[in-house]
Amino acid sequence: MAAMIEAPMIEASGLAKHYPAARSLRQALRGERRNVRAVDGIDLRLERGASVGLVGESGSGKTTIGRLLLKLTAPSGGRIAFEGEDLGGMDAARTLRFRQQAQLVFQNPYDALNPRFSVRRALLEPLRNTRVAQAEHEPRIAEVLRLVQLDDAVRYLDSLPHQLSGGQLQRVVLARALIVKPVFLVADEPVSMLDVSVRAGILNLLRDLKQRLGLTAFYISHDLTLVRYVCERTLVMYLGKLVEDGPTSEIVKRPAHPYTKALIAAVPRPDVDQPRGELPISGAIGDSGNPLTGCRLRDRCPHAFARCAAEEPPLVEVAPGHRSACHLHTQGRA
Amino acid sequence: MSALISVEDFAVAYRLGETSMQAVDGVDFSLPQGVMLGLVGESGCGKSTLARALMGVLPGNARITRGKVRLGGEDLTALLPAQRRQRLWRDISFVPQSAMNALDPVYRLRDQMREVLCRRGGLARRDADERAAELFTAVGLDPARLMDFPHQFSGGMRQRAAIAMALALRPKLVIADEPVTALDVIVQRQVLDTIRGLSRELGLSAIVVTHDISVVAYLCSMVAVMYAGQIVEFGPTDTVMREPAHPYTMGLMNASPDLERADAELVPIDGSPPSLMQPPAGCRFAARCPFAQQRCSQARPPMTEIAPGYRAACLRSGEAATLRGEAKEAATWRR
Amino acid sequence: MVEPIAIPLTAGEGGSRKPRKLAALLAQLRDPYALTGVTIYLGFLIVAICADALAPYGPTDILFTDDGQLAASLPPSAAHLLGTTNLGRDVFSQLVLGSRPSLFVGLTAAIAVAALGTIAGLVSGYLGGLADRVLMRIADVILGLPFLPFVIVTIALTGPSLTHIVLAVALLLWPNAARVIRSQVLTLSQRQFVEAARVTGASPWRIIFVHIAPNVLPLSFLYGTIAVGWAILTQASVSFLGFGDTDVISWGTMLQDAYASQALDRGQYAWFVPPGLCIVLVVLAGFFISRGYEELLFPKLRDDR
Repeated sequence: MAAMIEAPMIEASGLAKHYPAARSLRQALRGERRNVRAVDGIDLRLERGASVGLVGESGSGKTTIGRLLLKLTAPSGGRIAFEGEDLGGMDAARTLRFRQQAQLVFQNPYDALNPRFSVRRALLEPLRNTRVAQAEHEPRIAEVLRLVQLDDAVRYLDSLPHQLSGGQLQRVVLARALIVKPVFLVADEPVSMLDVSVRAGILNLLRDLKQRLGLTAFYISHDLTLVRYVCERTLVMYLGKLVEDGPTSEIVKRPAHPYTKALIAAVPRPDVDQPRGELPISGAIGDSGNPLTGCRLRDRCPHAFARCAAEEPPLVEVAPGHRSACHLHTQGRA
Repeated sequence: MSALISVEDFAVAYRLGETSMQAVDGVDFSLPQGVMLGLVGESGCGKSTLARALMGVLPGNARITRGKVRLGGEDLTALLPAQRRQRLWRDISFVPQSAMNALDPVYRLRDQMREVLCRRGGLARRDADERAAELFTAVGLDPARLMDFPHQFSGGMRQRAAIAMALALRPKLVIADEPVTALDVIVQRQVLDTIRGLSRELGLSAIVVTHDISVVAYLCSMVAVMYAGQIVEFGPTDTVMREPAHPYTMGLMNASPDLERADAELVPIDGSPPSLMQPPAGCRFAARCPFAQQRCSQARPPMTEIAPGYRAACLRSGEAATLRGEAKEAATWRR
Repeated sequence: MVEPIAIPLTAGEGGSRKPRKLAALLAQLRDPYALTGVTIYLGFLIVAICADALAPYGPTDILFTDDGQLAASLPPSAAHLLGTTNLGRDVFSQLVLGSRPSLFVGLTAAIAVAALGTIAGLVSGYLGGLADRVLMRIADVILGLPFLPFVIVTIALTGPSLTHIVLAVALLLWPNAARVIRSQVLTLSQRQFVEAARVTGASPWRIIFVHIAPNVLPLSFLYGTIAVGWAILTQASVSFLGFGDTDVISWGTMLQDAYASQALDRGQYAWFVPPGLCIVLVVLAGFFISRGYEELLFPKLRDDR
């Protein structure tokens, strides 16, 4: 086990995913094709045991990255390596083993479970699919329910989803992901559909489990506050591109990229004295079907200058382990 | 002291087959003019039902079972449905959760504004168009975009258009149901700023229904916290949030993360709200409350005045200061 | 994020699965329409099963009166509850025994339509691509065919046995079910629990049959019940028009017989009204059940009570 730590858990280079976009009749007749560039050239590296957050608004491509990393959809460009092995090159048998090693925690607990399956049936499904020995089934079910703190197993096992509360459901979803003993966990907005008083419980559980099981965790969320609570490292995406990458505490205290600064300023806080100044950004999210040349944020950024239109800013290091993609860093001003 | 709107012992029930569910069960509050009230609570607490009941737009199987609503002195609950419909949009207007619900996709915005201004407001076409342009500018939209269809607007813009429509006939009160929940962070902030600006300019009175206490902190000077169909705490936002008197509010504050204080541990409130088909006799939060005593489950705690304009429905509100200290400890909530 | 509208129920109301399913079925029966429909079906089913015991005579037995005369066109009496035909056959026996071919046709057609339509809908909806295009084009062609003429032509080519009628009806009715089930499958495929099944390693076939199929079965059942009515009506029409199997006495042949003997002119209501009524009742029962089911499947269609 220890000898394998050479290869990072996930390494992706030049990752891209384009979707054909809806076109008007006129465009179709002219033979024009439009592509939505959900992910447009991303390099990503997740070390074993890390907990990394991916923050972005809708249209940033963050959900697509989650699907790409889990081999639920194929990239249009670039490659992803899981523990050093190319994801795209895996055959059916290897892919099935991958499904045991990498799991997903879904956003909507009310939808992530088959409404006709009891909890026990839902938990058995991954075990059956990954060909786990029959004898192991009951012990694993019991163990995983204890892990997610649904200790009163007898109560829950025969229940149907509609009989459980949101928090309980999400724990079952988590249990289903953990029952195959994965090493990599992707959580896509794991608490956004839950009530505030319930979120804390799930977030604490996620933190705790990650520690105990030594998982590599990847949290996708629009909520910077959540990411701050559970992730040591954060990536910020805008319109399919990575704009900032660094330790979460650094990013929140000393954001380097104008977009990140705007995000942080925009988050409302449970504090009556929170700052209410004007946001350092204007307008709305650009069109991912037709992104701007050069820096994609330039039509909204107060600091935009000539170079921003001409050249796309590369990710440069602004502090140890902290990178940001903005021309201001190389211009001498920051 | 003339309140703009006052609600007395208000209750709404849904009929589900043979049983009924008391979604709102005895709500009292009053709101002065020019104030933004945040109605905050989690799913199932009845805040949306209350908002819709005030508007008079409840679904067919819901019924106001008791209570009065007085708007500017007039008793709305005593009115016939036809009379209440007359007041709709003129005295009270509504910004729905997702503007998709407010805007008809097959009509241009200008036509939709005209429908409100001419049909309900009785304005002539030209006056209506002028006013529509005024309204669009007030909410930060380019008046030229009146000729567009809703699908040509982004989410934030649609929400602003919905706000413009709500303000069209200069209502006394605007009720906004989760006005920014479906929006991205930056757009959300922009729309919140628009609402803040309007409230200053127009002296807007509004009730903002939301599950997000941070939005309330940003926008509203008063807050009402709802739990299981009842208001458990009511008062000025800064006081309620800094020195909550009801254990549920204390729990809510503990569970709400703050970007600035990321080291604070988030503490969940274990358990679930009680079933509203058979609500418990006494305090509805007693089952989950770390400070509950015997007497709490016996009778519904009345709203106790802690300071002028600041009330909480807790038998132990006198000891609020001590309880607050204990509530901050995570161990208190783990039972 | 949009808040889920959840009326929190007390958790852990588990209990074993069998009582739950039974409870669900019984709950269905509380709807007056469904209850009526099921009662009618059950009634006819019992009659069909006990037909031999209930019918005093064979359907084609030619009967004679005590004094040796042909018992033709007799009015209803104690001996002949619904009178006799012009050829001296007991109408009541015909009615009772005629329920068998009618119900046979109805039930087998229902099963065939439900099965074909469901499989086509599942494969089309989940796999998409070529399979989807081919199946839906075939469905489009079939939907364009005129119903009764097609059945008649088929019968003329293959022979008028009941099985052939069932096949013809099934062939014509599966596209309706398939289309609706396909769009249901398309919606279900977007649900997160289907994605979850993929993430846990399920193969596409497993997803179709284990995860999606149970959720479309109510629709299959619905189309099955609709098919019962159509099939019985078709068989009756075909018999009435004279294309049916003349050896088998069904309600349709009774009607054909009555028409050919000018029973209306002679006022022999007891001959042709009962079979017509039976057909109407069975078809109606099918629609009542599907109406009752509709409340269950699509409760939002119901406004407010």
